[in-house]
Amino acid sequence: MKGQPLPEATASLFTANPPRTPIGPGTGPTPLPMRSIRPPSAEPPKKVAKFAAPRGEGTAKMSKEAQLSIAERDFILEALRENVRVDGRQPNEFRPVDISFGEEYGHVKLQLGKTSLVVRISAEVTKPRDERPFDGLFNINLELTSMGSPAWENGRSNDLEASATNTLDRVIRHSNALDTESLCIIKGVSCWSIRADVHVLDYDGNLTDAACIAIMTGLQHFRRPDAVVKDGRVIVYGVEERVPVALNITHKPLSITFHTFNESKNVIMDASLKEEQASEGDLIIGLNSAGELCYVSKMEGGPVDPMLIVNQVSKAWEKAKELNIVIESVLRADLTKRAKAGMADESRAENDRLMATE
Amino acid sequence: MTTPLVLLPSDEVPRDYLPANNSNPLRLGPGLRILSQPSSKSADSKHVLTATQAGLLTTDAKKNTVSLLSFPNRRYIPTVNDFVIAQIHHSSADFFHCMVSPHTAHALLGQLSFEGASKKTRPMLKQGELVYARVLSVGVGAGAEVELTCVSPSTGKAEGGMGPLAGGMVFDVSTGMAARLIRANNPSAEIDEIEGLVILAELDKKLDPFGGFELAVGRNGKVWVNCSDSEENTVKATVAIGRCLQETDQKNLHPHDQKKLVSKVLREMKLT
Repeated sequence: MKGQPLPEATASLFTANPPRTPIGPGTGPTPLPMRSIRPPSAEPPKKVAKFAAPRGEGTAKMSKEAQLSIAERDFILEALRENVRVDGRQPNEFRPVDISFGEEYGHVKLQLGKTSLVVRISAEVTKPRDERPFDGLFNINLELTSMGSPAWENGRSNDLEASATNTLDRVIRHSNALDTESLCIIKGVSCWSIRADVHVLDYDGNLTDAACIAIMTGLQHFRRPDAVVKDGRVIVYGVEERVPVALNITHKPLSITFHTFNESKNVIMDASLKEEQASEGDLIIGLNSAGELCYVSKMEGGPVDPMLIVNQVSKAWEKAKELNIVIESVLRADLTKRAKAGMADESRAENDRLMATE
Repeated sequence: MTTPLVLLPSDEVPRDYLPANNSNPLRLGPGLRILSQPSSKSADSKHVLTATQAGLLTTDAKKNTVSLLSFPNRRYIPTVNDFVIAQIHHSSADFFHCMVSPHTAHALLGQLSFEGASKKTRPMLKQGELVYARVLSVGVGAGAEVELTCVSPSTGKAEGGMGPLAGGMVFDVSTGMAARLIRANNPSAEIDEIEGLVILAELDKKLDPFGGFELAVGRNGKVWVNCSDSEENTVKATVAIGRCLQETDQKNLHPHDQKKLVSKVLREMKLT
């Protein structure tokens, strides 16, 4: 009956009553037949319904981190006044950094306390941009999915994602840590496009620094396939055919994030999630082992003294040097491991490439 | 004494592992479910106990309970009678809406379900305050609401320290660790051997000269610690306890290592 055109009065009556209109004969089966498939006595359907319920209810709050309780906030601030951090660290101490590598080059797993992420570096041949025919492409992709934290929703960007992506771009990409000119194969025709994908597995604060360390490690670890130009044509050799080539890293910048508390009387490095939530502001400093600043950001929160920023820069420098030493040592350890595994040639990529071009 | 038994989901609990005490009805802990299996031959059905999570089977002959000790886990599924530490999110006319675990539907706590609460004397809890409460009901079906209470339904008293938690600090542990901590509090010889959790006793011994501490363990993986009696050492003692608990949880330490950890942390925090 509802499938046919209705008299005007009834039609308006139906539209005035929205819940009823969609349940017409043409709108598909009602959920009842589906339900009857399930065994009536089994428990699982109930459970499914129970878990599904909160998802629908709290969508508006999902993209936000759950608030800190008053007790936690007060305690963190009180403890910092006595110069004590909740996990017993010193103000300028990072959580233990654990870097491991996957089977392939440029596959890095980084663990910073409970923050954990995987970075994959990949390369493909593309056409360079018209305005920069000599440059290759380099992109950093950071997407926060609900795998990392229940506070993040798939496919919806949040503030943290925007700020972390921006910081990584500024610290690594805009400071030219990766020499994009070396990625050019034929001017204006083909070049390498290097892509760094950051996957967050677990989140407990300080995402930016963790991602920065992992990307820089990945770039130094990555080897791209060798490509040669012959008679105007590009030949890309497989990893088995020719020893892959390391990327040209010009310098090794790292970001160091500080958080301020108690009217910026307490400044700490590498805040955990709870500390981040209790803080009144942050200060991000990006610099390399040589102490060359490439990024300073005071995005939000309470004001800080200019002298404090100067002081923090020197502290960040110490930390960046320290972290770069850690990165170098794990890279070296991995190279020796690979060399032992019978891939000694690959680690001497540079020499082989010279020989090949002769 | 039987050897510890590990069960996987859908495993049946063998009958000889159940407590032999038949005077009280058998009480099931979380992770176990009673299923009836219709038998083909006779009219009466057979009941079996089945595990719904992986875990270690533990029984208590005195209380006639059988429960499953699950492994360290970060997700909490509310079960009736669990003690939890909930955080007030907002309040409405009749209820406080509380977060038991972040990013799940809010649990309801009646404005009057506190000890001696009446319309005039009920506690005025603000957003972000903490309560130690018990799960009253978890409801059934879609959109079911978890209800909490701060009084024991039978006596009307706040037993086991239920009620608002003032001051102190909350530390996150795994739900498995929280369950172990609760059990370690009422030890019976049989459980003690499996648990091997001596950290609280050790901390109690070592921190006693500093004024001791108050502890509330929520099954939702939260431990509230208060050392306000330690005066100038309040912060240090609280942090020390939190660190000991979290490290024991993360590294799954042996009783022997737990004692070492306590002395190490207290030395670092200058509390010896």
